Amino acid sequence: MSEAILAGRAFWAVIRRDLHVYLSYRTRLVSQGLTMVFSLTLFYYVSRLVHVTGFGSHFAYFGFVVVGLALISVMYSCFSIPELVRQELIAGTFDRLVLSPFGAIRSVIAMTLFPMLYSFVIAGLTLAIGCVLYGLQLHWSTVPLSIPVMMLTLLAFLPFGLLFASLTVVVKQGNVGTSWLIALLSIIGGLYFPIALLPHWVQIASKLQPFTAATDVLRHLLVGSPVEGSTGAAILKLAGFAAVLLPASILILARAIHTGQRRGTIIEY
Amino acid sequence: MTLRSVEATMPAAAGEETSMSSVASLRLGPTDALPLAIRGVSKRWRKDQPPVLDELDLALEPGTATWVGGRNGAGKTTMLRIAAGLIEPERGRAEVWGVTVRENRVRYHRLVSFLPAGDRGLYARLTVRRQLEFWARIAMVPGDQFRARIEEALDTFQLRELVERRVDRISMGQRQRLRIAMTFLPSPETVLLDEPLTSLDGQGATLLRHAIEEVLARDGTVLWCSPSGEHVDMPFDFRWELENGKLVRA
Repeated sequence: MSEAILAGRAFWAVIRRDLHVYLSYRTRLVSQGLTMVFSLTLFYYVSRLVHVTGFGSHFAYFGFVVVGLALISVMYSCFSIPELVRQELIAGTFDRLVLSPFGAIRSVIAMTLFPMLYSFVIAGLTLAIGCVLYGLQLHWSTVPLSIPVMMLTLLAFLPFGLLFASLTVVVKQGNVGTSWLIALLSIIGGLYFPIALLPHWVQIASKLQPFTAATDVLRHLLVGSPVEGSTGAAILKLAGFAAVLLPASILILARAIHTGQRRGTIIEY
Repeated sequence: MTLRSVEATMPAAAGEETSMSSVASLRLGPTDALPLAIRGVSKRWRKDQPPVLDELDLALEPGTATWVGGRNGAGKTTMLRIAAGLIEPERGRAEVWGVTVRENRVRYHRLVSFLPAGDRGLYARLTVRRQLEFWARIAMVPGDQFRARIEEALDTFQLRELVERRVDRISMGQRQRLRIAMTFLPSPETVLLDEPLTSLDGQGATLLRHAIEEVLARDGTVLWCSPSGEHVDMPFDFRWELENGKLVRA
C-alpha cells in the first residue's frame, strides 16, 4: 500500500479523533450555539440603534458585521492550533506523534483540519441564524463562490496558527499571544467596522495582512458590499499570502521541532 | 517459550565491571547492522554539569532482551529517548539496522516502538478501541493488517472487555496495559520500554512477558530500563547498569 494512502488515512484518523473528542463534551455545541445567537442579537440591536455613515441602512451594517462574525470563527480555528499542540504536550501524546511514522509535522497540520472544518460549519450557522432570526439578506447568486474563497482564506490564515504552534513547541507558551492578536486583527481587518474609520497609518497596516482582503471579498460575495479595488486582486492577494506563508510556516514548524529534539525539550510543557 | 540466555557467552565474568564499548566492538564491524546500535552517544543537559551520557555504546542483537538499570537520574530515560529518535544526542548516533532517524525518519519509526515511563500518552476522552485505531493509523499500519492488529492487541493484552470504555474511566493498571498494547501493535522490530511494570499487576506483567517473547521469536530486540533494585521477573540476555554516563555489567 502506498505511503500516500497510509498518510491520507492518518490525516483522516486525526480528524475522526478530534470529532470524537469534541462530541464527548456534549454541552460544547449548545454553548457555542448560544454564544452565536447572543452575538447576533447584540449586533442586530446595535445596528438598529446606531446610524453608521457609509451604510445605506441598518440592515447593511448588520450584514457587514455578520460576515465579520462568521470570519472570526475561521480566525479562531487557525489560532487554536498552538493551544491544541500545548494540550498534546500536557497529555504526553505529542511524543507519540513525534515517534510515529506519520510524524510530528504532518500530525500538527492534520490537527488543523477539524477546527477548520468546524469553523466552516460555525460560519454557515452564523449566516443561517442571521437569515432566519434577523432577516439577513444574502446574495444567493454569489454565495456558492464564497465557499472556495473561504477555503483560500483558511489557507491564508493557517500559517499564522502554524507559526504560533512552532512557538509553543519551542517556548511552550505560543498560545499566550493569540488572544490579543485575534483582537488586534479583528480591528485592523475590519471585522466589526469599516477600516476607513481608522487612522491612516492603521489603514496601511490593515492592507499588509490577509484578513482585510478576505473580509472584503466575502462580504462582496455574501451580502453584496462593495469591494475596495477589484475582487480578483483581493483573491490574488489571499492566494499570494497562502503560497508564500504556508510553505514558510511549515518549514519553521519543522525547524521548531528539530530545535526541541536537539535541546531535548520536545516533550516538555 | 523462554527467553534465550546468553550470559555464558559474555566476555567478562559475572560481577566484573566491563565497559560496554569493548563488548559492542566485538559485535560491530563497519558493515554490521543491528536492530539497535548506540554508538558513542553523549548528552549533557547543562554545560556546567557532567554529561548524563558519556560516549555510551550499546549494541542489541536480534532475538535478545537487554535490561539497563541505574539510580534515579542516571540517564536511562535520556538513553531511551535518544534510541527512540525523540531527542538528539550532542555526539554519537543511534542506528536501527544501520539507519539513523535523521537519515530515514519514517523507516526508523516503523521499526522502533517506545513505551515512555509514567501514565501519559493517552487521549482521556477516547475509548480503548478508538485509541488503538488512532494509533494504528498514525503508526501507518498497512490497511490489510489494520483490523487484525487491533484485534490481536485487544486479545494479547486482555483489553476486550474494556473496548468501549473511555480511557479516563479505566484504572491505572488497565491504562498501562493499553499503553503497552499501543507499543506492540505496529509489530516493531525494536521495542524500548521505560519502566513498563508501572501500575501493572502480576497478570499484566505476564502478558507483557508473552509479548516480549513474541518479539524475540521473530528476531526482534527489546531494551528494558528500570531503576536498580526493582524486581523484574524476566530472564534477560544482558543486564547493564548506567553509572556516570557509561554502561557497566550488572
